[in-house]
Amino acid sequence: MRTTARVTVPIVLVLSISLFLQGHNLPGGGFIGGVLTTAALVLIYVAYDLDYLESGVLGQEVESGTSIFEHRTVLAYRRTLLLGLLVVFGSGVAGFLVGDPFLTQTYVHLEGVPIYHEVELASALVFDLGVFLVVVGSLLTIVSVVSAE
Amino acid sequence: MSVALAVAVGGLFAVGTFLLLRRDLVRVVFGLAVVSQATFVYLIAMGGVAEGARELVPVLDTHGGGVPEIADPVVQALVLTAIVISFGTTALALVLSYRAYEENETIDVTEWVR
Amino acid sequence: MAPDLTVVTTAVAVPFVAAVLAPLLYRVLGERTGYAGAAVAAASFGLLATQVGSHGTVRSPWIPALEVGLQFTIDGWGLLFALLASGIGVLVFVYSARYMHGESGLARYYAALLAFMGSILGVALASDLVFIFVFWELTSLSSFVLIGHYTEDAESRYSARMAMVVTVGGGLCLLAGLLVLAVAARGALGGVTFDLAAMLANDEAMRASLRESGLFVPALALVVTAAAAKSAQVPLHFWLPNAMVAPTPVSAFLHSATMVKVGVYFLGRVRPLMMSPEWVLLVATLGLLTMTVGALLAVAATDTKELLAYSTASHLGLMVAGFGFDVVYGGEAGTFHLLNHALFKAPLFLVAGIVAHEAGTRNLDNLGGLWRELPITAAITGVAALSMAGIPPFNGFYSKELLFEATYEVAHEAGGLAWLYPGVATVASVFTVVYSVKFLAMFVGERRAPIADIHRPPLALVGPPAALATAAAVVSVAPQLAVDAIVQGAVEATATGKAHLEVGLPTHFSPPVGMSAVAIVGGLATYPFTERLAAGIGRGVDAPIPVRPSGWYDCAVSTATTTSARFGPLVHNGLLRTYVFWVAAAGSVLALAGFAATAGVPELDVVGVPLAVTVVLVVAVLAGLAVVTASSHVAGVLTLAILGFMIAIFFILASAPDLALTQLVVETLVLLLFLLVLQRLPSFYADVRPLVLARDAVLSILVGAMAFASVLLTTPGPDADPSSVAEYYTAQAVPGGGGSNVVNVVLVDFRAFDTLGELLVVTVAAIAILVLVTMRIRGEEAVTEGEEEPVSDGGDLP
Repeated sequence: MRTTARVTVPIVLVLSISLFLQGHNLPGGGFIGGVLTTAALVLIYVAYDLDYLESGVLGQEVESGTSIFEHRTVLAYRRTLLLGLLVVFGSGVAGFLVGDPFLTQTYVHLEGVPIYHEVELASALVFDLGVFLVVVGSLLTIVSVVSAE
Repeated sequence: MSVALAVAVGGLFAVGTFLLLRRDLVRVVFGLAVVSQATFVYLIAMGGVAEGARELVPVLDTHGGGVPEIADPVVQALVLTAIVISFGTTALALVLSYRAYEENETIDVTEWVR
Repeated sequence: MAPDLTVVTTAVAVPFVAAVLAPLLYRVLGERTGYAGAAVAAASFGLLATQVGSHGTVRSPWIPALEVGLQFTIDGWGLLFALLASGIGVLVFVYSARYMHGESGLARYYAALLAFMGSILGVALASDLVFIFVFWELTSLSSFVLIGHYTEDAESRYSARMAMVVTVGGGLCLLAGLLVLAVAARGALGGVTFDLAAMLANDEAMRASLRESGLFVPALALVVTAAAAKSAQVPLHFWLPNAMVAPTPVSAFLHSATMVKVGVYFLGRVRPLMMSPEWVLLVATLGLLTMTVGALLAVAATDTKELLAYSTASHLGLMVAGFGFDVVYGGEAGTFHLLNHALFKAPLFLVAGIVAHEAGTRNLDNLGGLWRELPITAAITGVAALSMAGIPPFNGFYSKELLFEATYEVAHEAGGLAWLYPGVATVASVFTVVYSVKFLAMFVGERRAPIADIHRPPLALVGPPAALATAAAVVSVAPQLAVDAIVQGAVEATATGKAHLEVGLPTHFSPPVGMSAVAIVGGLATYPFTERLAAGIGRGVDAPIPVRPSGWYDCAVSTATTTSARFGPLVHNGLLRTYVFWVAAAGSVLALAGFAATAGVPELDVVGVPLAVTVVLVVAVLAGLAVVTASSHVAGVLTLAILGFMIAIFFILASAPDLALTQLVVETLVLLLFLLVLQRLPSFYADVRPLVLARDAVLSILVGAMAFASVLLTTPGPDADPSSVAEYYTAQAVPGGGGSNVVNVVLVDFRAFDTLGELLVVTVAAIAILVLVTMRIRGEEAVTEGEEEPVSDGGDLP
């Protein structure tokens, strides 16, 4: 189980991020990237436990004995959730600066970028990043809180 | 006007409703999930279902090209949000039933009436 | 001169702003808030006074798609009403500051009074039907708050509810009537519009359109019902005397001078639009009936305010009758009497307040000879009461004379039964003289009952009625002055043709002059028999319920109360399944009935989808059935997962890779969550009672049939063109959104706002779960287990 997780989790994570980035032009996007990332992290829980991400991956001390509400990983998810909401709102409000209505999206073409030659940057990607963060944050909060029970 | 689709949606709604009416709280949550799934199918059916094909996927080939005939992207966007929301509601319903069980020590909804 | 949008909007908005600030003002100013209110009213009055003589429509759009906008039309009629409301408002606020001395709840009182004034200005000036309705209902609401000012008092609450039910019920009729007008405008003005000014400008076309669609009589009936409820016309007059439990300034302001005139005002407004034989028959009859009944009841009244309330209903009837007649005099009578009635009735109410305040009673039988202690008040009453009676040369005489001329002219032209009009009007006027003298009698003659020392009323109480009585006296002496200043404009706005109002004392004998003479002489001759008359009327009033409209009201309200008290527990019995049952059954039956009524049998295509899709869906439904029959929870979850994965495959087959991916992952997560929770829950066994199972199965099949029918009726055929929305998004995805994945572009760009809302839903779900699980731990620390309410089952609340 753990061996499988070691192999699959990085692949799934990379896949989810690539799905997220290509979402504007190919199948994918913030929702799918988000749920896939959640799935990858949940796989870690199932294989290891809630503290593994901190202790095993980041090498930090884990304070035991605190309730799930104060649990640092859960705290981190809630921050992710909050950050996502901020990004979503921020990308919406940013339009005000140039006089557009709330949540107006636009895009630019960047040319002459190495390797890709031509890259299109859509402001919607920022919004999508927010979607990604909110989905990851909330779904992981749900799963980790429930599983901690 | 596909009878097969209509039968499927109708059948799923019927099953979902039947589950919602059970005394067993977990089955009520099952019913919620089934009704969600039925709704997805319904929404997709509103956009029309044709033989699946590479060309029908709502991803355009090139920038600035002509507009090809593709599957309805609006219903797909609707369903995509619906999927994530139904996950949220199902999870909430599950946790609620768990807490209700903790408080009432039964998952028989008829015994909650005081 | 065209009106200025800013000035008009400010004049209407200032009272509302002040109403919001009233609690704050009250904290700072205390009881002097009344003077601040007077200043606000004066500001509105001043702003509107600058618009006198202007004529036209100003508009600022609100919902352009529905042609709804904040639209004001300034003409003589609207301005007359608005100036009257704000002018009397100034005096009533000054009076209130003194009269309401030492009362509680004054912040609410002033807030409601100010909001009321703003709404009345809105009704008077708005010419967009939606806004007229909103302001109309706002006047009812503020009236409700003001009648129920003494919240501790059961009678006060009862009367407030009664006024609310009647006037808001009338308001609903108005809404329906306005919608009918808006629909009729489609034919007449080339599109659904709520623009009343445009309708009035094209009244011929509107009438033709209404007649053509057969909606003329319904629209007329709805509008007249609304106006009758608001303006206390028989048989909906019974709320007005009850409304007298309100503080006296409120009675003077709302229930004599302004709010009750909203109905009359609106009748005058739509008069040019709806003038027809039906209108004359309905409105004129209604008005004269109310005039008579109100006057009779006023004669029988023993309470000063009750007398004035019935008399108000009677005079409102006079105005309504005036507007009912299709002759020039009719409209003139209605408009001029609106002004005159406000000028004599408001001071009479204020006088009643002074007498109640100083002498401590409102019972007419105990009052007499008050002129010694209250000479100024007595003088005010003299002017106002004689005006109310229609004695020349007081101002009430002129407008009543106009009504007599209208009735005479109509009767003269039509003959036959139409002679009832002048007859009834004269009889009603006889009683008007009787009750006017009865009211005046409390000041003259000898003291009837010992009353403890009577104080001189302070200036703030005498000033406002004195100002109004002076105005009445000015109009009495020089009526043409008032006519030229403002009434002529109002007459033109409400007239069906050309009209020029000339008033003055009659110089030679004519039948209407004779009618006036009969009324005055008859009234004075009848006065000595007042008590016998009152007793006779009293016997009629105390008759069994069928003839008393207030009895019907009580009956209807109590029936509704008991029925809902019985019905509630039946539907909301705390059982989840009962709720689901009623909602699902009602929804399905309604939807199916709707389909059956409107939709034809669609063209059926037995399969209509590719074979693979059919197979997948069959498996999905089978999995669903397996969920129902699963013997344990875990088996149920697993079959549910099969269902979910089948749906994912369905998505792939329906060319939706995004959905399929998401569905697969989400399904996995749901499975995991279920398994995590289920291990903590006990197993439970399904119902065994076959009757319940059969009932649920029937309902399920009903819901399934509804879903089946709606899918059949709403889904496009395989060859149908994509919807215009889909086409637009597809075409715009690359140029507008810069992405070629249309679904994603729709989500993050075109419909980003919806996505934002959806994210909030997910966030709320996450937070709720977090709180449900974690707060319990805190909750258990804080309170004992037994006291904690289970969060989950809303069903067990009483």
